[in-house]
Amino acid sequence: MSRLDDALRDALRREAPPEGFAERVMARIQAAPEAVGGWAKWLNAFRRPQLRWATALAAVALAVGTAEVRSEMQRRAEGERARDQVMLALRITGGKLQMTREMVRRIGYARREQ
Amino acid sequence: MRIAIVMVAAVLSSAWAQEIKLPPAFDKLAAKAQETVDVTLDSNMLQLAGKFLSDKDADQAKAKQIVAGLKGITVRTFEFAKEGEYSMADMDALREQLKAPAWSRIVGVTSKTENTEIYLKQSEGSRIGGMVIINAEPKELTIVSLSGTISVDDLSALGGQFGIPKVDAPKSKGKEEE
Repeated sequence: MSRLDDALRDALRREAPPEGFAERVMARIQAAPEAVGGWAKWLNAFRRPQLRWATALAAVALAVGTAEVRSEMQRRAEGERARDQVMLALRITGGKLQMTREMVRRIGYARREQ
Repeated sequence: MRIAIVMVAAVLSSAWAQEIKLPPAFDKLAAKAQETVDVTLDSNMLQLAGKFLSDKDADQAKAKQIVAGLKGITVRTFEFAKEGEYSMADMDALREQLKAPAWSRIVGVTSKTENTEIYLKQSEGSRIGGMVIINAEPKELTIVSLSGTISVDDLSALGGQFGIPKVDAPKSKGKEEE
């Protein structure tokens, strides 16, 4: 019995860790890759500076492009409206000139008939 | 003497450069009218319109040619439900602006039913510096003002284009010619 006690005591006795053990453990923890999911992995990709810049540039280009397209559409709509107004104005002008010419001719005929 | 000449020249040049302004009474007419057409295009809008006028369409191609020389177009048409909604005095403020030496009335036609006046602004050579048409009918009033240079050919093309068929000389009698 006492031999067994001695064996246990010997096996479970406190033992100081080897030199630098704690530092080595901490270093391994930091070096170990994190277990990340799909979204986290995707978001992690943006932590790269180059990709971050590329994304920012793409966003700016998209915003500028959208504004440009919208402005062009607006300009086109304004131009088409102006064109229609010009045509309407010239039709009215033409109509009135034609009518006046007709009236003058009518008077001319009337005078000749007299 | 020199000062007097300079002053006269300044007054004349300002009269020549003046754009036609529609009198405020026209705003009241718009309120009374059943239907109105209001077209106001400045030189910027005319330039923009010119870019959208097609060369392939005969009317648009002619319009493009006319618009190229214009600085402004103003058209007001008022259609009233009944007669007597406007008076010729409403036009006086407009006529005041159409005086010699810059402007000359080339046509004044008065009949029982309508009254038409055409004023032209003098310019160099065969070109016209502007045109104003005042057409008054019992239930309709139309004012057209074209400012800028217009050629006589353009003016002739205006009556008989833009979807308006040319009308042959009619045989009925008119009343008065000026």
